[in-house]
Amino acid sequence: MNKLLPLTLGLAVSFASAAVAQEVTIGVTLGATGPGASLGIHYKNAFQLMPKTAGGLPVKFIILEDNTDPTAAAKNARKLITEDKVDAIMGSVSVPSTTQVAMIANETKTPMIALSPVALPPDKREWIFTVPQPVPLMMSAVVEHMKAHGVKTVGYIGFSDSWGDLVLSSLKQFAEPAGIKIVTDERYARADTSVTGQVIKILGANPDAVVVGGSGTGGALPQIGLVERGYKKQIYHNHGTANREFIKVGGKSVEGAIAPTGALLVPEELPADNPLKPVATDFINSYEKAFGAGTRNGFAGYSYDGFKLLDAAVADAAKKAKPGTPEFRQALRDSLENVKNVVGTHGVYNMTPTDHTGLDNRARVLVRVDNGAWRLLK
Amino acid sequence: MNLSLALWLTQDAVVNGAVYALLALALIVVYTVTRVIFVPQGEFISFAALSLATLQNGKVPGTVHLLIATGLVVAVLDGWRMAKTRDFSRLPRLVLFNIALPLAVAALAWWSASRPTDVWLQVLVTLGIVIPFGSMIYRLAYQPLASASILVLLIVSVAVHYMMVGLGLVFFGGEGLRASIFPGFNFDVGILTISLQSIGIVLSSVVLMVVLWLYFGYTVYGKALRATAMNRIGSRLVGISTEFSGKLSFTLAALIGAISGILIAPITTVYYDTGFLIALKGFVGAIIGGMGSYPIAAVGSLLVGFLESYSSFWASSFKESIIFTLIIPVLLWRSLGKHRIEEEEEE
Amino acid sequence: MNPWLPVGGLVAVLLAAPLALSEFQIVLLNYIGLASIVALGLVLLTGIAGLMSFGQAAFVGVAAYTSAVLTTQYNMSPWLTLPVALVLTGTLALAIGAITLRLSGHYLPLGTIAWGIAIFYLFGNLEILGKYSGVAGIPSINLFGLELGGARELYYLIWLMTIGASIAVRNLLDSRSGRAIRALKNRVTMAESFGIDTARMKIVIFLYAALLAALSGWLYAHFLRYVSPQPFNLNSGIDYLFMAVIGGSGAVWGAVLGASILTLLKEWLKDLLPYLMPQSGNYETVVFGFMVVLFLHRTREGVIPYLTRLMPRKDKPRPSLEVAALPRRAQPEAGGTLLSIDQASKSFGALQAVSNVSFEMRSDEILAVIGPNGAGKSTLFNLVSGVLPVSSGRISFLDQRIDRMTGREAARLGIVRTFQHVNLMKNMSVLENVALGAHLRSSSGVVASSLRLERAEEARIMAEAARQLDRIGLGDRLHDPAGTLPLGAQRLIEIARALAADPVLLLLDEPAAGLRHLEKKALAALLNDLRKSGVSILLVEHDMEFVMGLVDRVIVLNFGQKIAEGTPREVQSNPAVIDAYLGGIE
Repeated sequence: MNKLLPLTLGLAVSFASAAVAQEVTIGVTLGATGPGASLGIHYKNAFQLMPKTAGGLPVKFIILEDNTDPTAAAKNARKLITEDKVDAIMGSVSVPSTTQVAMIANETKTPMIALSPVALPPDKREWIFTVPQPVPLMMSAVVEHMKAHGVKTVGYIGFSDSWGDLVLSSLKQFAEPAGIKIVTDERYARADTSVTGQVIKILGANPDAVVVGGSGTGGALPQIGLVERGYKKQIYHNHGTANREFIKVGGKSVEGAIAPTGALLVPEELPADNPLKPVATDFINSYEKAFGAGTRNGFAGYSYDGFKLLDAAVADAAKKAKPGTPEFRQALRDSLENVKNVVGTHGVYNMTPTDHTGLDNRARVLVRVDNGAWRLLK
Repeated sequence: MNLSLALWLTQDAVVNGAVYALLALALIVVYTVTRVIFVPQGEFISFAALSLATLQNGKVPGTVHLLIATGLVVAVLDGWRMAKTRDFSRLPRLVLFNIALPLAVAALAWWSASRPTDVWLQVLVTLGIVIPFGSMIYRLAYQPLASASILVLLIVSVAVHYMMVGLGLVFFGGEGLRASIFPGFNFDVGILTISLQSIGIVLSSVVLMVVLWLYFGYTVYGKALRATAMNRIGSRLVGISTEFSGKLSFTLAALIGAISGILIAPITTVYYDTGFLIALKGFVGAIIGGMGSYPIAAVGSLLVGFLESYSSFWASSFKESIIFTLIIPVLLWRSLGKHRIEEEEEE
Repeated sequence: MNPWLPVGGLVAVLLAAPLALSEFQIVLLNYIGLASIVALGLVLLTGIAGLMSFGQAAFVGVAAYTSAVLTTQYNMSPWLTLPVALVLTGTLALAIGAITLRLSGHYLPLGTIAWGIAIFYLFGNLEILGKYSGVAGIPSINLFGLELGGARELYYLIWLMTIGASIAVRNLLDSRSGRAIRALKNRVTMAESFGIDTARMKIVIFLYAALLAALSGWLYAHFLRYVSPQPFNLNSGIDYLFMAVIGGSGAVWGAVLGASILTLLKEWLKDLLPYLMPQSGNYETVVFGFMVVLFLHRTREGVIPYLTRLMPRKDKPRPSLEVAALPRRAQPEAGGTLLSIDQASKSFGALQAVSNVSFEMRSDEILAVIGPNGAGKSTLFNLVSGVLPVSSGRISFLDQRIDRMTGREAARLGIVRTFQHVNLMKNMSVLENVALGAHLRSSSGVVASSLRLERAEEARIMAEAARQLDRIGLGDRLHDPAGTLPLGAQRLIEIARALAADPVLLLLDEPAAGLRHLEKKALAALLNDLRKSGVSILLVEHDMEFVMGLVDRVIVLNFGQKIAEGTPREVQSNPAVIDAYLGGIE
């Protein structure tokens, strides 16, 4: 049966060693290739800096690549849960991939730290805890800023993907009650070489401000286009865009751009009494030491904050059960649901049974590009 | 929509269309000579644009290492073949093109990385990095399969595309880069603001097309390529080797890709996977030209540029849907306009 | 070895697999099954019929989304959504096929890329499909109260469908419709001249492939229970094509094998590469691409044909002749006017290939058209057989105008031809090639063939083909691939194939070319014999000696015009003919 040869070969390699008792195993699925690569690489980098213990127990990370493809992410999740018997799962970089993994985590009763927003109703998120700031939380800060500056109409241009959908829906959620009208919904792809058509449409509508729903360097293209064609009003971004590469690509054109982000990006400028300051500073110091000065990045921070949550919960769960057992996973979930005042790089997490994100306004600051660097907007 | 909007969109369409037309040209050259639908054509663009941007950041791009490694593999494979046939007459050539040249380019790249303001040197190095890949890729991936079916060649193309995109990600990371060649210089014509870069692109496109036309019409190598394109067996009989024309056509494709990459690097953010979408649209243009006619392919590419520009204005979220749906009637028209000749490819 | 043995063995292994394998290995097998079903469609479409499609993933997506939306928003049972998904995908495939399958050559693959991309972006932009975030919370399939929620439970359903689909496609290929499908690849003119509606056949198999994709999509939706646009993009479409090509795009089991190899290779790389290159997993696609290239360098036809060559060939048994013969048509009364050509002309641009040629032909006559090279013989031939329409004039066959008919319609009237350049399917057996000739004398369709409901008719076709091959003296080479026979024998197979069509008028294009002396004598005897059985024969021939001893009358063409007509003896002494031939030799 020649058909079986590659099968057995492949499957044999697929076996991973069973988890050693007393060691916490965390499964991670991330897309450092494919459409989400620009984010995924940062997410993944952070795992090189993770501590060796979580909650006092030795911790092992099994990191699998999912190419930003939900189907592959699902495969990884099944593998991590059934073969590696992970105690918790973390991932992934796009909304669809994360949602797919979340469904499996929920179904198999595996605690999950979602590293991107999850598109599931609350009753399907019993085992899911989300690290990144909810997009509405961030966009509310943007809308507040607009309101304070008398913006009445806003133009939107975003990615033609789930991120673009999400930023727009959150913008709508706050803009409409605030009396701000969204006058355009333009879309573009990260790899597009030109956004002239969209830019012209926005210029035609001449809104008081523009919100860009892109991420990473992809956020720069519309702003460059708008500025090139003489748009002089405020351009807002989102927390997916706030990183150094954005400025490098955008150059002078992105001067003055405003974006919401977590503390991670500008810890130096935070007041000394801010609890986030030491954690964020430590993290970016070690991150920039490993990957180069100025490489600080919000996505890497999410990975780290996810770990901080587990770190806080494992200690508690370990008192109730041994890692590698369903009881431990149950205990881990329960204690994740009750973690209090976990200080991460982005914000302070206080989970409750009804709030599996647990972030408050401390997890958002507005930053502005000022002389080629992100500066805290005071 | 008023006149100035239409002019803006038209300018955008022409600039993009010019790039697509260049790619369509390269795809047709490669296809007619080797029957390869060269999916990785776009990767030359990404490689060139990102190598240029990396040099401008004062670093030596990873493509330089790849060039040395690939050249070495070619040298070893062909050297082995020579050793077996005991015919070393082409050894100097082999060493020159696959070992000496990459090393020279590498040395130049190192020097250039320390001179971040010397744009012309950077452009030269970029060309030096990307162009040799053409014949190397042909040698490694396609030459052993010269007689295979179009389907197999196409699958190989897709595989090579995967490899190159994967390497691009390794070398340049997931974030995009921009380069700058000329200082940002715009001038106004009536209500339009035209950037020097966009004029550069259109001009280079036109010049390159004319040069290629002259090349195919009036030079020995160009005629050899055309001969191979028309009749594979016949041209072999008169002494033009498939291998030679294959390498030559791939070198041309790499040259066109490199130039396109250098041209677009300053006007847009280029990612490791940007090339594929650009090449896909060039491919649409090439197909409209029946994979054979350069002028119709150029017109087809412009058409794609217009479709793209105007649909991104009218309904940007459906842009790709619109472009690719509207392409189908055009294809249908082209397909019906042709005499149906049954291709009796041997099984 | 019994041909069912490997299948039986595979089924046994698959049945037992869940007992021995871990949960994740079952998951992997499920992924393989899902991909195999799609790749099967591509084997049929691309490997067999030569129609390249990059868009199959879009069909998978349409069915997956259909089931997702109907089950989550309208609470329909998955068993009800299956037919809906199939009908919807089928309708879409028919619409797309009607447009894009008319594209020829390279236009077709690009057409498939185009609608593949267009549909992908549509998924992401429709509110009802959850835009780019997709549809979550799809229920699992419930089978008689048994919840197929886990991978293990769904495994049996997925593989039941995979094996079922594979057997159906295998059956299909080994049937009347299957032979017609195989003729779509590079043999369209020939297929049409035996009455195969190639345009319809293309749409039928396009639909077939789309429905297989839809089946896979439906299973996908209820296996992963979440759909979003990403899995149905162009890359997935390319992956399916990869699978078909690597497994062996001409072989049914190539789909399953290709899907297995690719799925496991990716999994294996994912596990292995981090050990070799601990820094990142980014090398996966690089190594994957490299292995595919290397693989195709080693075996470009794919794995299955490679393996088949290693194994000894096993011939099927000789078809039994003890079955009822296929129906025969009534031959027209001997001596009546069969074919009447009246002032027929054909021009290609400025070139007048045939001008104002008129002659009549009686039934049960053997008539030869001769003339020097370029005299217009083959063009005239193509006019009569319906390959080309006339520019002016009329051609009637049994008092029916045929000058505007297609080859397919002409075939239906009993006008059957051979080709000057041998037009056989070289990889198909001699017997199957001849059986293709009997296409119009049988009727089973694609569905009956897939389900093996047409075996009785198939046996009659095979018996007919074997009989005709016995008649031309190739009865001992039935199962050899046609391409392995010498050229002379291939010409005879062409004739046998034409005979299998039960012709009224047999058109032979240079039948004696490439035959040796004895073979020519045998051919002449065969043709004489045929005439006695009521078949009329019109032949184009160069070989004067062959013609003169055989035919009743000769028409001589030169520069597209008829210059002489009469018995061989009359024509031979005609000064115009001598002049034309000598002029030609000069």
